[in-house]
Amino acid sequence: MKKITLQYFAVLREQAGCSEERLETAAATPAELYEEVRARHGFTLPLSMLRVAVNEEFRDWSSPLESSDRVVFIPPVAGG
Amino acid sequence: MRRLEYEAYAALAEREGEGIVAEAVAKYGVQHAACIHRIGDLALGEMAVWVGVSSRHRAEAFAACRYIIDEVKHRVPIWKKEHYVDGDSGWVNCERCAQPGAHESHADQIVTPLAEGAHGHDHAHAHAAMTPQHALPDFSRQIALPEVGAAGQQRLRAGSVLVIGAGGLGVPALQYLAAAGVGRIGIVEGDVVEASNLHRQPLYGVADIGKSKAAVAAARLRELNPEATFAVHAERAGAGNLVDWLARYDVVVDCSDNFATKFTVNDAAVILGKPAVFASVYQYEGQLQVYLPREDWPCLRCLWPEAPRDGLVGNCAQAGVLGPVPAVLGAMQAMQALKILLGLPVEGAPALHVFDLLGMHWRTLHAARNPACDHSPRELQTDAIDPAALELAYPTLAAAFASGLTLVDIREPWERARDVPAGPIEWHLPLSAFLQGSTALPREGRYLIVCAHGVRSLALAGHLRALGYPAVYSLAGGLAAVSA
Repeated sequence: MKKITLQYFAVLREQAGCSEERLETAAATPAELYEEVRARHGFTLPLSMLRVAVNEEFRDWSSPLESSDRVVFIPPVAGG
Repeated sequence: MRRLEYEAYAALAEREGEGIVAEAVAKYGVQHAACIHRIGDLALGEMAVWVGVSSRHRAEAFAACRYIIDEVKHRVPIWKKEHYVDGDSGWVNCERCAQPGAHESHADQIVTPLAEGAHGHDHAHAHAAMTPQHALPDFSRQIALPEVGAAGQQRLRAGSVLVIGAGGLGVPALQYLAAAGVGRIGIVEGDVVEASNLHRQPLYGVADIGKSKAAVAAARLRELNPEATFAVHAERAGAGNLVDWLARYDVVVDCSDNFATKFTVNDAAVILGKPAVFASVYQYEGQLQVYLPREDWPCLRCLWPEAPRDGLVGNCAQAGVLGPVPAVLGAMQAMQALKILLGLPVEGAPALHVFDLLGMHWRTLHAARNPACDHSPRELQTDAIDPAALELAYPTLAAAFASGLTLVDIREPWERARDVPAGPIEWHLPLSAFLQGSTALPREGRYLIVCAHGVRSLALAGHLRALGYPAVYSLAGGLAAVSA
């Protein structure tokens, strides 16, 4: 199991009810990780509308996850 | 016309006015001269300008009066706003007032050659006492920076920035750009000031409610730097106008509040090869991204290949925001634009900066060019369907049903559990199911999409039309707008 720090922004933060959480996961990729937490938090946005950054770099959804990675799921926002 | 309003850049107006009066005295050899120009609200027929001259001979007195009134109209920075009977209004600048016949009919000006010993002398003294030491902006505190210097200040003065939106982000961006001495600033904003804007747009006051934001902002910014040029575009930025406007500026700062405009700004910047500074806020968070026209630099579409449809991301409740959140982001946009104009490095590597001002986190997420994004000039896309044509209003759900529409409730299950509407709803398909690509809803049929406040339903109606559903509408105002 990998130990991951997850950070949420905007509507994901609202739906998760927290801006950050640490968790243990068997997810191999950010895509698998998102599916896992989506089910738990009831996220309404599909993966295709989000971007993911791992350790402060934008990544592909299929890139490998490592233990102690810091993962950020980001929806686009438009308020001005 | 109903009434007139005069606004002045008082310090400069007084200095310039004193100069004109002194010139008149010297030129015509009169004893004393004085001039008073009112500012603020004036009813029709009220006196706006008073000129007095005392002299031994009448002819010189009249000539001096005429010189003063003509020069005041040409040179003194006082702007006149005309309020029309139909509620409309417009600013008239001092040059236009000076055109023959343009001013006489609006408010009266009294030009009085005074006899020796009248009060003109006292007025001239009163004006002299009110003139402050520095009537023009003094940039010495930024010129003192080694990265700016006199050469940098000259670059700012020669520079130009187009700001899209004069709201929560645009207000601080505009204020700091104008205050820094940027020589030419364009303001694109189609909205008027609303009472609910003021908490995050403190450039405006309660007296501005109902007025054009772009016009009010330009008037206020002129007070910050009367030497700068401000272009007012009191309309919404779109594919039809943006490229023409942006072609005349060095940098664009996107302070808009919707995806459609942001992506249009992105495309215009890519087409013209202009740097662009983007920001957005959501409650306590903000995102900031700079686009530079360089081979290795990502654009907005590199990050978000599918431009999100407005209303589909986020919730239906009116998004709240605390004023300092857009203020922080807008000031950062001004900072980035000034760095671009000064020729300073903008940042080490392209990134999306994500700010959480509640938790006080700032993440710099490095972004690269997306190889799938062609990044090449392309035609700007416009929405084929006018959103207004997608909305239908009904007093009750029963009335909508009676008109032959099939009702589709797209609220999430937890929202429905909280508030079950009494009405003939046939489909319960949450928005999230549509976003995952659900095709459960048959294409045939006339649908009315329903949500809590009509924001998500309008976005989804546009989305489904684009997917080929021929008759999909959104319930205007959502369930909050219908009675049970």
